[in-house]
Amino acid sequence: MIALQHISKWVTNGGLRTFLLKDINLQIEEGEFVSIMGPSGSGKSTLLNVIGMLDDADEGEYNFLGQSIHTMKEKQRSQLYKAHIGFVFQAYHLIDELTVYENIETPLLYQDTKSAERKAMVGDMLDRFNIVGKKDLFPNQLSGGQQQLVGIARSLIASPKLLLADEPTGNLNSKQGEEIMDLFKQLNEEDGVTIIQVTHSEKNAAYGNRIINLLDGRIEHPR
Amino acid sequence: MLKNYFKITWRNLTRHRSYAIINILGLAIGIAACLLILQYVYYELSYDQFHTKKDRVYRVIQDRYDNGKLSTQWAAGAFAAGRNFKDAFPEIEDYVSMTGRGASVIKEGERIIKLERTYFASESFFRLFSYPLVQGDPQTALKELNSAVISESSAKKLFGTEKALGKTIRINQNNSYTITGVMKDIPENSHMTADVLLSYSTFIKQVGPDNNPDNAWDWDGCFTYVLLKPGTDVKALEKKLTPLVAQKNGDSWKQFNASASFYLQPVTDIHLYSNRMIEFKANGDGKTVYLLLGIAFFVVIIAWVNYINLATAKAVGRAREVGIRKAIGSQRSQLIFQFLFESALLNAIALFVALLIILAVLPAFNRMTGMDLGLGLLAGKNFMLPFFGLFLLGTFLSGIYPALVLSSFNPITVLKGTMVSTGRGALLRKSLVVFQFTASLFLLIGTLTVSRQISYMQGQELGMNIDQTLVVRGPIVTGPDSLFAGKTNAFTNELLKIPAISKVAVSSSIPGEPVGWNAGGIRLISAPENTQKQFRVIAVDYEYIDLMGLKLIGGRKFSRDFGDKKGVIFNEAGLKLMGFDKPEEIIGKDIFFWGDTLTVHGIVGNFHQQSLRDAFEPLILRLIPEMRGYYSVKVKAADVSQTLTAVRKSWDNFFPGNTFEYFFLDEHFNDQYNADRRFGQVFGIFTCMAILVACLGLFGLASFTTIQKTKEIGIRKVLGASVPSILRLLYKEFAVLIVVAFLVATPVSWYAASQWLQGYAFRINVQQGLFLIPFMIMMVVALLTVSIQTVRAALANPVTSLRTE
Repeated sequence: MIALQHISKWVTNGGLRTFLLKDINLQIEEGEFVSIMGPSGSGKSTLLNVIGMLDDADEGEYNFLGQSIHTMKEKQRSQLYKAHIGFVFQAYHLIDELTVYENIETPLLYQDTKSAERKAMVGDMLDRFNIVGKKDLFPNQLSGGQQQLVGIARSLIASPKLLLADEPTGNLNSKQGEEIMDLFKQLNEEDGVTIIQVTHSEKNAAYGNRIINLLDGRIEHPR
Repeated sequence: MLKNYFKITWRNLTRHRSYAIINILGLAIGIAACLLILQYVYYELSYDQFHTKKDRVYRVIQDRYDNGKLSTQWAAGAFAAGRNFKDAFPEIEDYVSMTGRGASVIKEGERIIKLERTYFASESFFRLFSYPLVQGDPQTALKELNSAVISESSAKKLFGTEKALGKTIRINQNNSYTITGVMKDIPENSHMTADVLLSYSTFIKQVGPDNNPDNAWDWDGCFTYVLLKPGTDVKALEKKLTPLVAQKNGDSWKQFNASASFYLQPVTDIHLYSNRMIEFKANGDGKTVYLLLGIAFFVVIIAWVNYINLATAKAVGRAREVGIRKAIGSQRSQLIFQFLFESALLNAIALFVALLIILAVLPAFNRMTGMDLGLGLLAGKNFMLPFFGLFLLGTFLSGIYPALVLSSFNPITVLKGTMVSTGRGALLRKSLVVFQFTASLFLLIGTLTVSRQISYMQGQELGMNIDQTLVVRGPIVTGPDSLFAGKTNAFTNELLKIPAISKVAVSSSIPGEPVGWNAGGIRLISAPENTQKQFRVIAVDYEYIDLMGLKLIGGRKFSRDFGDKKGVIFNEAGLKLMGFDKPEEIIGKDIFFWGDTLTVHGIVGNFHQQSLRDAFEPLILRLIPEMRGYYSVKVKAADVSQTLTAVRKSWDNFFPGNTFEYFFLDEHFNDQYNADRRFGQVFGIFTCMAILVACLGLFGLASFTTIQKTKEIGIRKVLGASVPSILRLLYKEFAVLIVVAFLVATPVSWYAASQWLQGYAFRINVQQGLFLIPFMIMMVVALLTVSIQTVRAALANPVTSLRTE
């Protein structure tokens, strides 16, 4: 599903190149649940952003579902992105001025889904996450765990093949964290969603079926 | 999707209420001001646009020269122009000659009706101009001798509901005319006005074969309009006019060293660009109109700038939303659209508020501009077009920059929260604020210039005394000329018997209006013919100089004791034009005046016959005691209404069959400044609006910067800074902007003010005060505005501000 070849990314500071990612080669198949680990500044989030097309690599090739991303125009890429990728953030990143319902609905608006269809899809999602009663609340009226649930619901609303999560439990207490991880596992096993998560926690990493360790922008291969 | 955008916008607006109010109010005021001024401007530009042949109709105008120097500029020039030009140039398809014959008094039954504006006009009149007839045939209405076309309202005055066509009217108890047409009243937005049109053939007959107007190149007062054939090269034709006249009449002019030039003036240009002798009515001023148009756009642009400033200042607050939207699949174009939509929504609300404002101020606006705009205006295309135009333009101009900025945010940076507010946006905001204040200062300086000039003009010594002076318009129906002198004499004597009246004088002109009598060919009898000059002439009686309080600077006044019959008195400008410096040099000499020999008795100091807009003209006061024109009456301060009743009574005795019309001379004189005053008011009000809008924006921006600086202020206070020192810090930022604005505004306004003042013969000097006072006002107003925010911030307890960080 995802194939990265010789992916590098750097910033130039005073004529000096600092590599954020260096020569990353990575293959991820459909249905995998991958955890990316590594110390702060090792490039985890950058890698996730490159995979998630929020960021460009400076060098290398990136194939997603057999299409080469690095040669694509912004518009095609956005098309591909919104159809197949869902993002979950550590800080939830819900839109404060929109209700739970409207937050979940927003990605569908960008895909021009018909109104009746949207209603049904958002309704299903609210059901599934047991937050029907909260649909008219604004994000600041919810607890962190609830906000993250909404965040995940929003990332799944367009039925993506790939779910990218950047420390999804980082702002949550351990009980809430566990619930979220259980949900990820269930999504991966029952719905076949490919998941890539960035995490600091060994325990959360263990939910996945493969761990990638990053250090200074390189993949550390298990010895 | 739109619903989503709508919700977001709406919730943002309600959440940041003060921001929304500042934006909407500013935009609304700007739009309302702009739309109102546009109505005025549109009206001024609409003059004579309704003529279907307007692109081909030109007025022939004429400049006369004496000794190579421009002496007079005529709207209505030589009578011979029309016929001769038409015969000589095939490009001219048709022409109209038109000349005024003063007011008409018509007796209909027992009623006496005065129709102020009566003109002779050639039969092509209705072929050139699109003034529709409601009765009669436009092709032939002015063809026959003694035919008359009257306006609809005149017809109503004369005959009520009866049919006017075919009736006979007797004008001034003299000639009778048959009504061959009734025309719709000439609209206000035409340079021309007329109540009665009489056939030009009648005029030719009345002046007799010896004075055939078609040969009269030295007789001015005839409007000539030409209709050019389609595709005519106007410039080329214009160039041929003057040589033709030179060929026809040049020899006779040569001996006087005189000449005349002729030009073609598009009929649609007359109202805004023509200010010559004998216009139909006081015309408008193109410069003023375009200046107002400029102000209109200034005000609305200032409001748009507010939107840009506040939106970009708040951009950091919206950045997270942008990041999220991008992360869940929005394209940049969709975000741009979203923010444009927001701007559209805000503009739409502002437009609605602007409508309310317009409705509220419409009566005041009408009073101020003398226009008559009703609610129907809102439905007209002249309103709707700019209304939606401003909406689209505003949405786009004010929305596009913030939209581009906001949509450009990188989702990764903003979502990580590492984004810092950039200096780039701050510089732009500052430049925009400078622009706003430059515009405001410019307007403020303009307002001050206009108001100072007006009060200067009203405060100047006029060189005469026009207080306590009642003026009665002379009679039109007078019976036989031979008896008139006696009648006038008896009437004035009768008036002097009224105790409150101290003096009565008769004259052909009174102060406060152009002198209607222009005489060329004036010279010392001893001087050669080529030294002759053109003068304005006022015929006066023995009392006039005393009554008006004119100051003698040499010689003596007219006096019955000397038996003066053939005397003149020059004003100083006249003396100069005759080529003398000192009164003694000319007093006692004889001048040649249209075949008469007249003796110069004295010189009066220059006085302001007209407003201070006009320079002193060379004047001759000529003694003609039996002149018909105006009776000026000096009234003691006592009971005016009683005096008026008494005057009226003797008027009715002496001049039956005439309407009694009177006014007070000082009011009449000051009416000349109405247009200036009106302009000053409009200017002032819209300046206030512009400043209000700019200050609204400044207020918003100040709150934003202050919030940004809360932490800095807190730290400084902890380090021991005093409240004044913190205020100074905050003020400095804005004060610098105003100083920059001042530096930009000064040269521009200096130039504009000087240009505007050029239109006044007597004017104030453009000096520092004109600039420094607005600068101080602006500075105070701006710093006060800023203070509302900063004082609170400076006084705040640093503990709270630092804790919240």
